[in-house]
Amino acid sequence: MLFVPFLERDFRNRFSNSFFGGMWALLQPLLQLAVYAFVFGYVFKARIPGADAPGYVPFLVVALWPWTAFAEAVLRSTTVIQDNAALIGKVALPREVLVLASVSTSFLLHGAGFLIAMLVLRMFGVPVDLYWLPPAMALYIPLFALASGFALALSAIQVFVRDLSQALAQLLPLGMFCAPVFYDRELLPERFRAWLDVNPFTFYAESFRALLLDHGAFSLGRLLVAALIAALVLFAGHRLFRRLDPHFEDFL
Amino acid sequence: MTDVLIKATGLGKAYPKAHRAGDRLRALGRLLFRRGDPDRVVVLHDVNLEVKRGESLGLIGANGAGKSTLLKLVTGVLTPTEGSVAVHGSIGALLELGAGFHPEYSGRDNVAMAAALHGLSGATLRERLPCIIEFADIGHYIDEPVKHYSSGMVVRLGFAVIAALRPDVLITDEVLAVGDESFQKKCIRWMQQYLDDGGTLVLVSHSMYHVQKLCRHACWLRDGMVAMAGDVFDVTQAYLAWHERNSVPDEARTIGAGAAAGVEFHVARMTLNDDMSERPLLLDPGSSMRIGVRIHSRDGRIPCIAVGIVRADGTPVYGTSSEMDHHVPQRGEGSEYVADIEFPDIALLPGSYSVRVHAMDPEGVRVFDTMERIVTIRGASREFGMVRLAHRWHASSGARAS
Repeated sequence: MLFVPFLERDFRNRFSNSFFGGMWALLQPLLQLAVYAFVFGYVFKARIPGADAPGYVPFLVVALWPWTAFAEAVLRSTTVIQDNAALIGKVALPREVLVLASVSTSFLLHGAGFLIAMLVLRMFGVPVDLYWLPPAMALYIPLFALASGFALALSAIQVFVRDLSQALAQLLPLGMFCAPVFYDRELLPERFRAWLDVNPFTFYAESFRALLLDHGAFSLGRLLVAALIAALVLFAGHRLFRRLDPHFEDFL
Repeated sequence: MTDVLIKATGLGKAYPKAHRAGDRLRALGRLLFRRGDPDRVVVLHDVNLEVKRGESLGLIGANGAGKSTLLKLVTGVLTPTEGSVAVHGSIGALLELGAGFHPEYSGRDNVAMAAALHGLSGATLRERLPCIIEFADIGHYIDEPVKHYSSGMVVRLGFAVIAALRPDVLITDEVLAVGDESFQKKCIRWMQQYLDDGGTLVLVSHSMYHVQKLCRHACWLRDGMVAMAGDVFDVTQAYLAWHERNSVPDEARTIGAGAAAGVEFHVARMTLNDDMSERPLLLDPGSSMRIGVRIHSRDGRIPCIAVGIVRADGTPVYGTSSEMDHHVPQRGEGSEYVADIEFPDIALLPGSYSVRVHAMDPEGVRVFDTMERIVTIRGASREFGMVRLAHRWHASSGARAS
């Protein structure tokens, strides 16, 4: 029951005291889209090889938005226990709520941004398959579970090892470049291509493209594996969080 | 009505020693792989405590004795390292300052959040919000961010929220010390009403007056262990006596320290009816009170001695000074000045009072040091107020002559 007030609070934390307030939720994806269109479409004139390949901007946007949701959720949630030390030291509450509310904010904001970006791309004539948009949005569910699992584990460890959030800010971009977000799997030399599957995000990047841009194939088997991994990470993350939770107050 | 709301058995808490980042990393490893770690500071050990419904318990003890830690364990903010604590019923706790308010949000938003944290539904909150705002009585500040509040205002709001929750057990940690007098009185009145209605209270305070006024039982923590528990008067007396024993050997040193610290005038000693212990002085109404003061003057100048009597809640009753009364303190041993002041046939009504003695500069302008003692006037009286004013009843001149 505490989830809703914390979610509200997290939303307000992001936009409080800013001139446009909640409008930023809408403005951000549009501005970001415009920047990518300019840099990659106009300046670099980036292209994906292949006869019926989509344009580079839709190719990028479809994978980058879910990644941003994931990376931001993990990065922001990592410090959430530490940031709420004052509250934790005064009031007894289930601390998972803090982490989940923070992850949810990122996913809600960037999920909505994703929808806006898809609609805008469609308006500019990119053949985004709106019929497959609802199933594509459902991919956010295992992604959310994956992010929550990481966030729970990392936020608990952050209480003890404060270097984590610093390191994470460097490691997350590395994680992004180790997944086919900015490039296509086909562009890699043959022997590296299979390695991409080690990165759990590879599945999401490629599946969003398969569903929405009809680029590559969507596989139910891989979805099952991805869902299983997400569930495992969530389970393990929660276990770790529970294990360390009684000791937070000693180290905050 | 005798059900136990809080029960602590062999309760203990130890904090890990974590000064450097490396210690934290090692601690994490130990926690993850469930190995014991010897590097701990014990702050609370083997505390057995029972609070029944309708009981009021005062927790007393010196700074660092583990009072706040005990409260945190009871509220569930901390996890015990040994023993266990069981709580039945809802707890409303105001731990130290702040109550977990977010500094960026307005008081109103924080109230909503605090209410949600204590499991109050939105509808109930809307219904009680006017009550909370009225109780806190901080005016337009309710819509200002909490970061602009004074510490007194934060406590006002925090207490107002807890009061509105009407918990089974009310836990407050040094709340009264921060509020101003009118708010202290309001809190005390509220807590008394709450206790009369069958509420249960656990109070931490350094004010023995508050503890004695509100609690029937007391528990004295010393170095993380229960030194004494039982009737509030027995425990507070023993606690004050312990403080006194502790401070006597230090007396010579504190005088030296006071002089070294640059205090020009210093109250070296204060006696009430020739008694210099720190126990409350018990007097019968109408008896006389003699206050003996010895002031240490660093540079040998003659100090001004001010004496005041205040009600235990801080309301002034009477005050005067040697300078006002043109009395010159006599030179005592060394650079000390002594003076006695006597209040014959003291007119105070029964109740608890504080007698304060201040060391001031010769001009009677600046206060350098203060010493305080408690005086209790025994007995009961149906008169109102603090002082019996001399009065006489007369047959009215307007009465019809018969």
